[in-house]
Amino acid sequence: MSHSAHVLRRAARSIWENLYLHSVSVGVIASALLLVGVFLSVQFNLNRMVTDWTRDVHVSAYFLPDVPEQRRFAIRERLAKDPRVAKVVYVSEEEAQDWLIARVEGVSTALAELGPGVLPASVEITLVDGAVAAPNSFVDLLPADEFSDVDMGQDWVARFNEFLRTLQLLGALLGVIITATALFVVSNTVNLVIYSRRDEVEIEKLVGASTSFIIAPFLIEGAIQGVAGGVLAVGGLWSVHAVLVHRLQNSIQIGVANEMVFLPPTWIGLLVAAGLVLGLGASTLSVTRFLSRAA
Amino acid sequence: MIRLYRVSKEYAGVGALIDVSVHVTKGEFCYISGPSGAGKSTLLKLLYGAIKPTRGKLLINNIDMGPAKDRDIAHLRRHMGVVFQDFKLIPRRTVAENVGLALEVLGTPREVIGRRVAAVLSIVGLRGRGDELPLSLSGGEQQRVAVARAIVNDPAVILADEPTGNLDGAMAIEVMEVLQAVNLRGTTVMVATHDAGLMQRFPYRTLRFRAGRLEAS
Repeated sequence: MSHSAHVLRRAARSIWENLYLHSVSVGVIASALLLVGVFLSVQFNLNRMVTDWTRDVHVSAYFLPDVPEQRRFAIRERLAKDPRVAKVVYVSEEEAQDWLIARVEGVSTALAELGPGVLPASVEITLVDGAVAAPNSFVDLLPADEFSDVDMGQDWVARFNEFLRTLQLLGALLGVIITATALFVVSNTVNLVIYSRRDEVEIEKLVGASTSFIIAPFLIEGAIQGVAGGVLAVGGLWSVHAVLVHRLQNSIQIGVANEMVFLPPTWIGLLVAAGLVLGLGASTLSVTRFLSRAA
Repeated sequence: MIRLYRVSKEYAGVGALIDVSVHVTKGEFCYISGPSGAGKSTLLKLLYGAIKPTRGKLLINNIDMGPAKDRDIAHLRRHMGVVFQDFKLIPRRTVAENVGLALEVLGTPREVIGRRVAAVLSIVGLRGRGDELPLSLSGGEQQRVAVARAIVNDPAVILADEPTGNLDGAMAIEVMEVLQAVNLRGTTVMVATHDAGLMQRFPYRTLRFRAGRLEAS
């Protein structure tokens, strides 16, 4: 108990006496974790969106123009009865055109010049959750002599997933580079702290201090720096998130800004824990190197 | 207490201490003397475990210093006081904190450290100076702080390497009187010095070295 009290007092004192160097370490850890956090945040939100989109996958089947309307309704009824189908909406040529005019400014004149029937009628099929994984199995319900084109709505999700995997790989690489850089910078600032106290360490050894007594304050300092860096990074990340959501809401009229969420508590905890590991790792590296040289 | 059996220490093949056998008993006061390069500091370094013998056997309190591990040496140093010519005080710490360090490593509670430090500062004639920084003290006072740190944990042995080397006559006598007082309480004291006047004024057994060899004991 008394040992711990001495060690804690020495750690607190060292932080106070080397405030500038400790601030540099905290700043480096915070910056590194902020970069990692921003990357994680982007990835987390993209993953989340893709998951939502995957859940919403629906099949669009475009009728050939010569299929009579009665036949189209019959197909819609047949599809609606299929257990894999959650919902079927029939979209006529006129409705498709109205939909496009409502969303694309100035397209009405061009459509008027092209005449009726430019956009084909279609059925929009929403699948039940269990069927989302295999939308291609619907081909048998959509015969080629009645449909000009069938959009399974999954190709782009697959491509996006591929992009996300590349992003993850890049993220891991970036994380390793950032962590190694931070570890290098922080361990060197810890080196400066140790160097400024080398006379003290030498005297501690002379009066019989154990290795744990000598290194414990440095490790505590490292841990405090790491946690402080982690907390600062989370604060910075929150600010970046808030600013980004605000900017997106003001600049583009899409729902992306509203869909963006802050990292969940577990991820925040992991970010702070990463700070702790970084600070502790850098201190351990420096102090063991120093003691092995001093031995 | 301290036994050396044919101990040698070489640096890059050059003998700093050659074939030395000595026995120092508990409670003894003895000098280690000789000219520069005689091996006085090498012997002291061997005794406080900063270096290991190249050959021979060195026993302190029945601990063989040759194969002793770092933790054994740390443990031994907790029962040993070491005083250097250059004082080795931490300039950023107060006098009381410097002295108390030897008790901190033992895990002594803060209140006990306060009491013990105050008592020891009284013994070395620095009562009420605990809050000052070492650099604000004279050389003799700084050396007395170093002696206070060496004796604060009631060590079994005190090793002093030229403790009066940087001090004028009066201050040197003050420091020697403190060491003598500590010895009278039963602590073994070994002082490395080449100050013949001091050895005459405070006559004790002298281990005389020349070129690494023990000439007289």
